[in-house]
Amino acid sequence: MGDNLRSSRPLAEQAGVLSFDEQVDFCRRAEACDIESVLMAFGFTRPDPVVLSMALGMETSKMKFMVAIRSGVVTPTLFVQQINTLSRLTDGRVTVNMVTGHIPRELGYYGDFLSHDERYARTDEFLTICRAFWRSEGEVNFSGKYYKIENGTVNIPFMSDRTAGPEIFLGGNSQLADEMAVKHADCLWRFPDAPEKLRARVQHLKNNKTEVGLLVSVIARATREEAIRAAQALLQTVGAKSREVQSEVSRKCDSVGVKTNFKLAESSESQWLTPCLWVGAIPYLGAPAIALVGSSEEVAGAIVEYKRIGISQFLFMGWPDLEEMIHFSQEVLPLVRQKEREHELESEVGAGRKIS
Amino acid sequence: MPLRFHWRLLMGGETAGITRAAMYSRVETSLPDLEAQIHFCRCAEESGIDSLLTDFGFSKPDSILLAAALGLATQKIKFIVAYRSGLLGPTIFVQQLNTLSALIDGRFSLNIVAGHSPDEQRFYGDFLSHDERYARTEEFLSVCRALWKRNGDVTFNGKYYQVENAKLNIPFVSSDRQYPEIFIGGSSPPAQRLAINHGTCWMRIADAPEKVLPAIRPALDAGVEVGMRMGIIARPSREEAVRAAYSLIESLAVEAKDAEKENEFVKRSDSTSIKAAYGLENEWLTSYLWTGAVRQIGGPAIALVGSPEEIASAIMEYRDIGVTQFIFSGWPKLDEMVYFGKEILPLVRKKENATARANSN
Repeated sequence: MGDNLRSSRPLAEQAGVLSFDEQVDFCRRAEACDIESVLMAFGFTRPDPVVLSMALGMETSKMKFMVAIRSGVVTPTLFVQQINTLSRLTDGRVTVNMVTGHIPRELGYYGDFLSHDERYARTDEFLTICRAFWRSEGEVNFSGKYYKIENGTVNIPFMSDRTAGPEIFLGGNSQLADEMAVKHADCLWRFPDAPEKLRARVQHLKNNKTEVGLLVSVIARATREEAIRAAQALLQTVGAKSREVQSEVSRKCDSVGVKTNFKLAESSESQWLTPCLWVGAIPYLGAPAIALVGSSEEVAGAIVEYKRIGISQFLFMGWPDLEEMIHFSQEVLPLVRQKEREHELESEVGAGRKIS
Repeated sequence: MPLRFHWRLLMGGETAGITRAAMYSRVETSLPDLEAQIHFCRCAEESGIDSLLTDFGFSKPDSILLAAALGLATQKIKFIVAYRSGLLGPTIFVQQLNTLSALIDGRFSLNIVAGHSPDEQRFYGDFLSHDERYARTEEFLSVCRALWKRNGDVTFNGKYYQVENAKLNIPFVSSDRQYPEIFIGGSSPPAQRLAINHGTCWMRIADAPEKVLPAIRPALDAGVEVGMRMGIIARPSREEAVRAAYSLIESLAVEAKDAEKENEFVKRSDSTSIKAAYGLENEWLTSYLWTGAVRQIGGPAIALVGSPEEIASAIMEYRDIGVTQFIFSGWPKLDEMVYFGKEILPLVRKKENATARANSN
């Protein structure tokens, strides 16, 4: 949005201020495309997602904002107060995307020097406290390793038709992330792999009443050939320099998911994990560039395949984001809905979209 | 520089004054009330008010988000966003404020306070003592200001905060400043030190000018502005104003349990200003400075009471000792603010002009 190929540029050169008008326009088009929510990512290269969601929320009427947050940057009490304030100002159109951070060097900018596993332990405490506030069962008391709260009270309630606070997404691909999601989240966001490779872990989460969603890019065109040409053209556009940028990101990163994706991209004999799942853009645009590539029919088929193994939400990204989203909504989504009906699958697949 | 006048923002569901005890328990206070608050902002713009104070506390909405919502709906009015250290790291704080600045063209300043209630601090996981909170706030603002300088990566290794090579791609956006004005609240020696080290203006709870002068001299000498937080009860005549003051106390209709809660709050507070305001023995500190509502509404309720002429003169007395900014409140806030803009502000400007002419002759 506004800076669609930002992940191909060095972090320090990514624009911190994006055009607010363009973002409002994107959100309104996403509403028209039946996209349920936009991801408001967190990081030093970006505006603050809580404040930006507030502003975009005032300019939209349906769109929900999935606010990314890391533990370790704000106290849980203040976070709850901010999210509750946001819920009031957007009629409850706010969900939370809990992330643990993946580049230790950037975490240091925010004063966070914990290791990967310690960050998960802190996230556990953070969400325990937040959810205690959201249950609204009186004062919150907590004494942990990372947080201590005494008689915690926040007068502003979370406002929406959900009674127990916002929907909580948790991003991660490690075993710890699975456990944390089961404990605290409504839905785990993870990167895709071939459906049969995901089946067991997805089933485990589903058995524990936790949804699983895929964070994946889309390159869909009228035909498979056009889609592949578009994918190759994308790599031409971003060029070799973006490879250096991303290879540095992957070196500095301690995220299991990011490392796994880079490894897949480097070691796979072909760039295709399935006929539709392409890892070729990862070295250029980062781990979330793992992509469903193909004709509208093929991409819709792949989505429904994931639904069969229990995946129920998708968080998409495209290049350019806006055009890909419109194509998805006009060409791919109707096919998905049709296939869902054909297969008499029980519930409809939710759709999310990454805002960048 | 002409004097600058700010006002406390109307709170959700607020009509006339409410006691602190009631505010702490009413849900309405915690909710943004955009319709009423936007109307209040527009009236403030028309009344010559510079900025509106958005308070921070567990009984209020988040002050950054409230300022963003109101700022997007208005053109000119600025906000004084109150915040405390100990709630979030300095890097994310600057990132949130810079985002706010990009949305409303930097129309805000900060009111950084160290917190006045240890009980409330613990809601947020803050167990530090009064003086430690000030020491932490020193570090907090050091990091914030270093980030605002945008002079390379920021590394800081303090007792309370450590950041390494911190940078933010989003800058502070404003047509006339590199970073927001910083008001520092409090009246203790650590507050004064903090104001001198990091503040652009030291905000104090009011007292008689002759009492204020020695206390603020070090700050003025250090080139830091000084402001007063106080109430205003102005009516066409002094008699009417005094009557309004007393009927305010009656209208607050303090229930016995609220009075008890308030006493308990003060007892448990570790704020030097709050303790001092409650310790004041006289109801009238000067012929125009009244402390009668402090026990119900708190220290900032020390109020200028009188006719527009009397209040304008009182404001000039503060100006004479070096005070340059005021954050006022009134009961009801809106009526008093509009009256101030119409009846008092023109008198103040006239007196300022007369003084300026006298000085240039």
